[in-house]
Amino acid sequence: MNDDFVRTICPYCGTGCGLIMKVRNGKVVGTYPDREHPVSHGTLCIKGWCAHEFIHHPDRLTSPLIRKGDSFEEISWEEAIALAAGRLTEIARIHGGDAIGGLCSAKCTNEENYLFQKLIRMAFKTNNVDHCARLCHAPTAAGLARTTGSGAMTNSISDLAGAECILIIGSNAAESHPVIMGEIYRAADRGATVIVIDPRETAVAQNAHLHLRINPGTDIPLLSGMMRHIVDTGLLNTRFIEERTEGFPELKTYLESWPVEKVAAECGIEGTLIKKVAEIYAKAKDAAIVYCMGITQHACGTANVFAISNLALLCGHVGKEFSGIYPLRGQNNVQGSCDVGGLPNVYPGYQSVSDPKVQDKFQQAWGRELSAKPGLTVTEMIGAAGKNIRAMYIMAENPAISDPDVNHALESLGKLDFLIVQDIFLTETARFAHLILPATCFAEKTGTYTNTERRFQLLRKVIDPPGQAKGDFEILCLLANALGLNFPYTHPGEVMEEIALLVPAYGGIRFDRLERAGLQWPCPDVHHPGTRFLHKDRFTRGRGLFIIPEYTPPCERPDEDYPFYLGTGRMFAHYHTGTMTRRSPFLNREQEEPYAEIHPDDASRMAVKDGDRIRITTRRGSIVTAARVSSKVSRGCIFAPFHFTEARANILTNPVLDPISKIPEFKVCAAKMEKVTNEGEGR
Amino acid sequence: MLDTVKNISRSILRERQADGVLGLTRQKSTTLEEGMDIIQPHVFADPGELDDLVIEPKWLFAKLAMTILRSSPESYRLAVICRGCDERAVIELIKRNQIEKDRIATVGIACSQEQASVCLCQRPYPEKLDAGVAAEGVDPFQDGQIRELLMGDDGTRMEKWAKLLKRCIKCYGCRNSCPICVCIPCKLEDEVWVDTGSIPAGMIPYHLIRAFHLSDTCVACGACQEACPVHIPLLALQLSMREILRKNFGYEAGIDPERKSPVLFDFSQEPSPERELPAWIDSLKAKI
Repeated sequence: MNDDFVRTICPYCGTGCGLIMKVRNGKVVGTYPDREHPVSHGTLCIKGWCAHEFIHHPDRLTSPLIRKGDSFEEISWEEAIALAAGRLTEIARIHGGDAIGGLCSAKCTNEENYLFQKLIRMAFKTNNVDHCARLCHAPTAAGLARTTGSGAMTNSISDLAGAECILIIGSNAAESHPVIMGEIYRAADRGATVIVIDPRETAVAQNAHLHLRINPGTDIPLLSGMMRHIVDTGLLNTRFIEERTEGFPELKTYLESWPVEKVAAECGIEGTLIKKVAEIYAKAKDAAIVYCMGITQHACGTANVFAISNLALLCGHVGKEFSGIYPLRGQNNVQGSCDVGGLPNVYPGYQSVSDPKVQDKFQQAWGRELSAKPGLTVTEMIGAAGKNIRAMYIMAENPAISDPDVNHALESLGKLDFLIVQDIFLTETARFAHLILPATCFAEKTGTYTNTERRFQLLRKVIDPPGQAKGDFEILCLLANALGLNFPYTHPGEVMEEIALLVPAYGGIRFDRLERAGLQWPCPDVHHPGTRFLHKDRFTRGRGLFIIPEYTPPCERPDEDYPFYLGTGRMFAHYHTGTMTRRSPFLNREQEEPYAEIHPDDASRMAVKDGDRIRITTRRGSIVTAARVSSKVSRGCIFAPFHFTEARANILTNPVLDPISKIPEFKVCAAKMEKVTNEGEGR
Repeated sequence: MLDTVKNISRSILRERQADGVLGLTRQKSTTLEEGMDIIQPHVFADPGELDDLVIEPKWLFAKLAMTILRSSPESYRLAVICRGCDERAVIELIKRNQIEKDRIATVGIACSQEQASVCLCQRPYPEKLDAGVAAEGVDPFQDGQIRELLMGDDGTRMEKWAKLLKRCIKCYGCRNSCPICVCIPCKLEDEVWVDTGSIPAGMIPYHLIRAFHLSDTCVACGACQEACPVHIPLLALQLSMREILRKNFGYEAGIDPERKSPVLFDFSQEPSPERELPAWIDSLKAKI
């Protein structure tokens, strides 16, 4: 058989780089960068280069499995679908449709996510559908939607290279979005000033012109202090504020409570530095703000996003090329899974479930009565598991690793009457399932992903799925039809056309238009070329809105019992819950064991050497991991990557939620640590 | 020029000089919109398919050709559409016993003058030129950026390079895309040299080992630099070493298939009797 090459899209982060997969005898044998790709231009990070490594892993699920006691047995697809439909229907009949919860997936395509939320909403008349976007950029979707009318990255990745100033807040793009980092360096090479705000001395910070190493969770004071200085020195863009925004007087009054000296004390940095950074950002012709989990994963995550939006509006750095607000989305299709309605409060295209007109439109389109009551979020569903929520259908999500206070989440998962997990591996979550449906990975299906710059991109089927595994698309159609719905789709392209009919902003998206470079929404009709940047001349909501960012300090701060700050995050070789990267030999070789970064002074005080075992404990639980002694973290701080099942950092994290977006405070909690002297003690 | 390449490729397939031709294919978009065609590598096995062959943009095939030949039956022969640098890479791979000479043929194409300027290429044409007119070579050492990178005293240069190499995100793209970086096992995967689990990759253990390993085989194709997401000007490191070999030994990698590298041979012919290689060099356990 001849070698074949198939152009497709990377399954890891939201950058959405172009891959060329080399196929031989039905196996993917290599990954190469796509030199023609509009975002990645022939470059990839270490994960992209290794994207083929997990595809043919022997752990792949190849048959539907049913729980028998503590183990699983193979069953046929007919039995599996009949069981799934039967049990879900029965539970909905007894406990009501709101007793069913569904988690769709930022790893799956737009079409699959659309079908998933349609299935849950139609079959059970509930809006209990959500996914891990709740755990990453929910504050962005909520925050930017309120301030600008569109909860997405305002500009394009390539715009970064043209900025004069780039403010990076709480993003370690060098490890988490490396190809986007390349665009930031391109700007730096052209003379741009790169400023990093982060409690950790990340790889991004090490390569920046200025690094503001603030205390964890003090973003609002810092941004407010910057704004106060910009207002005081008259560097604000008065014309932009008058013509394009509303709510400025209220913000101005609020800023009076943040004199720079007070900010400096709260953030633990020099006041002069705050002023300097404010001036650089305000004076730049075009300035960009890049942010990520360091902003969103707080109990004041949405307020943090308000603060960022305020700063951009204050200086008029939005609505034009080379400037704007850049939330870097985590998963390959987390933008898309939100866009097509994988959220409990909105239908596809962020159309509110509680708006009667919208409800009417979807009832007519789908031909079923739908619920007007917003559903539960990921954390709420899992919290209610075994109580209000009796059954869950989880598609390619792994809350058993990714949810906060995960021991508690596991306990809840175990209480469900019925749990279906649809995935490619037997994940930690699947171990709790009553029924496991073997699905397909990115290389085995056709569909679209939407990257962080709103670009719909075509994912191409490279090879057939292993064993009896079926595409998520096909499984959803089978299950829907067994539930008495009519899902007549034979190809994902038909689903895209249905989405285009229901969401004006995606009206012009068709599979055949995406073949070369994709299309960035809004794209209202089939002749529209897509949109490089949002809010030109007019904000999506009309005027840009200043909203007062109420500051709530981290819910847990170090005290006598728990004297350290603990934050979680990612490292460059692994991805999220590790199901794919830890099964990729080259990536796993890079980091085989869990670890936590601790400061050299803290280490020496505890007589801990690099590589020693330490136990980290919070009010939720404790893990034993290896110490990595590094001044990347500040004195009194611990950083733990959350990829490792054998030392789940999320056992430690605080499940307190942001009141608006319901994101948990992953980035800050109080912890203590001790050296583990004998290994038995550590278990 | 494109038609010439297509005709040569057709006759190669028709006359069974090779079982496949490796090049770029353009798949016409199904929409009527302009610029929607897809371009990607392809092994043309049927002369009829060659209507879709294109030769732009620059895309390097030598390493792909090697992997295809390795996984094919011994009787399988492949022709490759080659620019100058790609032909030099094929020759180096043959010299280093990575490709069997009898299993590979090249269809040589000249680069445009514009491409030569972009790549700062001294030889923008293959020795066996089948299509196109050879563009004039460019002297990379006249280029402002290259001069900036290579000039100044040791301290200045060290500072400049340390700053650039600190950006490294350890994607291994420079190694993966390099047509002649083929050692198994790779020194860059040996924990003795390169730390795991953190970025950036170390300047000396990663970047300088890589650069020196390639000192006498680098064909100046620029693939390493083009694959670098963080824009480290890696080619500049290689160019100066290539220049030293050219000045001192009149040697250029990939030009003469018969000439062995002076680093391997000219030195060993005049060994220094007093000097012995340190014992640890071969004692490092290589992990496969």
